Amino acid sequence: MAKVRTDDPRLQALRLGEQATAGQFIPRPDRRAAVARTLRRPQFWFGVTVLIPTLIWYWIFSFQPIFSAFWIAVHKYQVLAPSTSPFIGFDNFRYLWANPLFLVAVRNTLLWGVLAFTLTLPLALLLSVCLANVARGRNLYQFFIFLPVVVSLVAITLLFRMLMDPDIGQFNTILNALGLHSWTWLSDSSSALPTAVGIGVWKGIGGTVVLLTAGMLNIPAELQDAALVDGANEWQRFWKITLPLLSHTLVLVMVLLAIGSLQEFTLPQLLSTSGAGNSLYVLNILIYNEAFQNLRFGTATAAALLQFAFILVISMVQLKLIRPKWSY
Amino acid sequence: MATTYPTALPPRRRSISLGQSLMHIFLFVWCVIAVAPFIWSFLASFKPFRELVSSQDLFPHTWTLNGYREIFNRAHFLTAVRNSIISAVSVTVATCFTSAAVGYVFAKYRFWGKEQLFTLLLATLMVPFAVVLVPLYITIYKIGLGNSLGGIIVTGFWSTFGIFLMRQFMETIPFELIDAARIDGASEWRIFFRIVLPLATAPLAALAIFSFLGNWDSYLWPLVVLNSPEKQTIPLILSGLRSLYWTRYDMWTAGSMLTVVPIMILYAFASKWFIRGIAMTGIKG
Repeated sequence: MAKVRTDDPRLQALRLGEQATAGQFIPRPDRRAAVARTLRRPQFWFGVTVLIPTLIWYWIFSFQPIFSAFWIAVHKYQVLAPSTSPFIGFDNFRYLWANPLFLVAVRNTLLWGVLAFTLTLPLALLLSVCLANVARGRNLYQFFIFLPVVVSLVAITLLFRMLMDPDIGQFNTILNALGLHSWTWLSDSSSALPTAVGIGVWKGIGGTVVLLTAGMLNIPAELQDAALVDGANEWQRFWKITLPLLSHTLVLVMVLLAIGSLQEFTLPQLLSTSGAGNSLYVLNILIYNEAFQNLRFGTATAAALLQFAFILVISMVQLKLIRPKWSY
Repeated sequence: MATTYPTALPPRRRSISLGQSLMHIFLFVWCVIAVAPFIWSFLASFKPFRELVSSQDLFPHTWTLNGYREIFNRAHFLTAVRNSIISAVSVTVATCFTSAAVGYVFAKYRFWGKEQLFTLLLATLMVPFAVVLVPLYITIYKIGLGNSLGGIIVTGFWSTFGIFLMRQFMETIPFELIDAARIDGASEWRIFFRIVLPLATAPLAALAIFSFLGNWDSYLWPLVVLNSPEKQTIPLILSGLRSLYWTRYDMWTAGSMLTVVPIMILYAFASKWFIRGIAMTGIKG
């Protein structure tokens, strides 16, 4: 193998950004002059004044906390004297495993994620197919479907706790009026999780519907028309044209849904009642309680890192499995 | 030669297909499901407590503002409204400004390591908030912003999502426009404020709504940072009603409606921007 001579003049010319074929030697521009020219540029100063504070902020409030999360997770964090925290390796993860509530939390989190996912996706697809195909009134329908998304989640939890009160709540009143038995809703450990997920789906589905509808309306009409000319019926058009062409949006929606539903805090925290027991105890509640009630910062952060790893894996798998390799 | 044109087309028969009506029925039913809890609660907030827990009627028999009076008198509600507005507005203004500026720099400037830096910023979106919850709490207390509104404002100054969104948009601004201004002798700040920002009104409006709602609604972080009652925001006060006034459903409805109705009024006037803010996250590509 021929050795490349580093002092080859042609290479040097290339390094100077000149074409070797030009055959001319252009002297290397003076470094100091180049720096001086850059410093005189107004763009340079604009960029610097924008980027320097940005980087400082990101360091303090984003990068540094992420790094120290890994540090905290392997130390027995001393709240009063952090620098004296002893290194304990993976003991925090071991404590977590020994905590009986951890498995409960993992189970509830997974159950929440699966339920939310399987409820939201088909319902949202159905709603957005209707929205995209309805001849008139699309904006009006969309307005109302999106309404629960914009209002405060905390206010909604209060309203639903009241509506679902087992004795005087409006929901059971309606059930009784229809001749059905009252249901326990949030006040029983068997029904609390599905009910809470239902509230979450009711609140969040508007966002998914808007995304999917926008995706459907983006599909070029010629493709639908071509299928129509070929004699495809609505059912075939949905499965063979709409759904495959929607996959860019679908991937995004599915990843967002999975990430969101594995990180619930406000809903399970504010909807849990004494009757529900541990059935709404999800991972984020465990993290919050470990950190700010038991003051075990290390264990809390260890649990958060496990959650991070799990979410990462789930998103990667989703992206790998269903990411489309084409575009239209 | 007189040609006779048909004065009117024969009336087209509007065929109401089965599919269309099924879709309308389904959408209508869901709309009712989406709206009914608000209508019931709005009317219920004017019921006296005794009627609220006993009557099943939609409309109150006796109208009262007692729930509202109670929530203003007993809970620090006005303070909470003030705190919520201060934090949500300042975070929104800051986020819009920083996102536009950083997005502009990332879209239109060339510098060493730009793409790597951008990827690094985007990577922070992948990290769940729970991971940084404890370290961020420690940081906030270390810099002396614990138990103050500043602690929840400063963490919202920059938004990775906002930067991403604004960069996407700024890429579409033609270079010619910016260069023309440079030739005319405009400074970079002038270009940014006079040319780039006015062009970016639409995505900025959506980003502003997105960020305002997020902060108006934010629960976990304020819960961790703010302790004393006079520092709390609306969501904290509302969630506090659960334990402090756990049977006072009249106060619950009144408090919820005070939080929900202003946002709904805003939504009624600007629903396009609300929806666009969500739809923008799904821009194909």
